[in-house]
Formats: sequence, structure tokens, C-alpha cells
Amino acid sequence: MKFLRHLTAVVLAVAVIVGLGMLWAHASGGTGPRQAPSPEMLLRLQHIKEQVKAGVIRVHSDNGFHLADTGNLIRTCEIEAALAAAVITASVVRRRRHRMRRTTARA
Amino acid sequence: MRGAATLRHDWLMNAGSTTPAADSPVTAGRRRILARTRLDFWLDALLLVAYTLAYSLGFTGIATHEWLGIGLGVVLLVHLTLHWDWVIRTTRKLLRPGGRERFVWLVNLLLLLSMTLCIASGILISEVALPQLGITPPASSFWRQMHGTTATLTLILVPIHAALDWRWIVGVARRFAAWRPGRSR
Repeated sequence: MKFLRHLTAVVLAVAVIVGLGMLWAHASGGTGPRQAPSPEMLLRLQHIKEQVKAGVIRVHSDNGFHLADTGNLIRTCEIEAALAAAVITASVVRRRRHRMRRTTARA
Repeated sequence: MRGAATLRHDWLMNAGSTTPAADSPVTAGRRRILARTRLDFWLDALLLVAYTLAYSLGFTGIATHEWLGIGLGVVLLVHLTLHWDWVIRTTRKLLRPGGRERFVWLVNLLLLLSMTLCIASGILISEVALPQLGITPPASSFWRQMHGTTATLTLILVPIHAALDWRWIVGVARRFAAWRPGRSR
């Protein structure tokens, strides 16, 4: 029962956030139909198509993990690890300082 | 959304009400603590791994990326529901002095906003998952931009959110390492 009550509150909170996002999109005129691509963009697309045909750009089917592109996953992990390490280091330093200050005050 | 100390308090408060008669209150309490801790730990780990995979679009491909994102949304709802007590308690305490709790609350609020908007915008620009279900979302450049921005913001906030509770994570991991099935601890 408590779980259901909390779930309702969470769904409401999420709905409010999504609703505000929708309002924002509406206010900035972002919900309208997509704009037609510019001539430059069409030219670029044509160039990409040619590159795909020539084999310069490789396209793979999109039905699973692309194990060849693990670099992408590794980069994400590296960013997360670096940020987590920074926060943990700051937390350890802060705690040590706090402890030292307490020890000094006691002495 | 979790305050390690508050959760520890929750586990102790929850212990003992529906335990088998054969167990002593202490043992039963420990068993219940472990069940909730296990759920929190694995759900949080699942969220972290799922987000890391979902962000690595080049690794997963668009179809897996979209289905992962939708699944992430469901697990996020459960995660928030499990920690709603913490949200209410910390929000009430916001006016009191004490920097760390306020900082954690702010990080969590930002993460809630960015992750919700990231998943919602992802659904609105879906190219594979929703069309597979026969739904064609009204994609727009606004939601595409929103998805990119909130995904990057979430990538920054997720490790900060996890690292703020690193003591809890290390503590639970240690307990898992020492824990053997069949023993209460």
C-alpha cells in the first residue's frame, strides 16, 4: 500500500516534469513539423550516400551490440570513472580536514 | 535518491514486523535488512550499467539504445519509489543548516529533471522502438536538442550521484563479499 502511494507520487512528479518540458517545447515553437533540409544539407547527404556506396563509410545493421565500437563504451566508462573519482577524492579530503579540525579543537 | 545514514535508519525501523516465529528478532531483523539492501544495491547497479550502455549509442546501436532507455525509465520509477521517503524527509529538512544534505538533494533534483526529460525526449524522437509498436512520435528538433543536452547532463550527474554514497556502496559490497547464502549475515 505504501509502495503504491509512493509510486503514485513519483508518477505525478514525473508527469509534472514532462508537462513542463512540453510547455517549454510549445513556448519555443519546437513542436511544429520538421523543417525541410537546406540545399547545403541535401548536398552533404548526397556526398555521404556516395561515400557509403564507395565503402569509405561502413554501415552496419542495427540489431544488436556493435562489439567493434567498444571505444564508445570505454569512453563513457572513463568519463563516469573520472567524475566519480573526483567526488570521492573531495569527500575523503573534506572528511580528513573535518577530523583534523575536531582533533585540534579537542587538544 | 538515497542518504546512506537515513537508509540505515529505515532498515532498522522496518525490521521485525513480519518475521517467522522461529527466528530471533535480531536474526530476522538482519535478514530483512539484507533483503532491502540487496534490492537497493542491485537496482542501483542495474541503473548505472543500463545508463552507461544507453549513453554509448555507438556501442549498442539505435534499437538497443531505445529499448534500454524505455526500460531505464521503468527502473527509474521503481528506484524513486523506493527512496521517496528520503525525498520527503530531506525536502522537509532543507531549511535547516547543514551543507551536505542540501547539496545531495540538489544533485538528486537535477538528476531527476535531466533523466526524466532525457527519457521523455528520447521516446518523442524514437525511430525504432515506438514505430515497432505502431506509434509514430512527432519528432522535432527541439526534442532532439533536449535529448542530447539532458543525456550529457545526466552523464555528469549519474557518477556524482553514485559517488556521493560511495561509503554505502563500499560497505554493502564488503558485506556481500563476506556474506554466504544460508547465513543471516
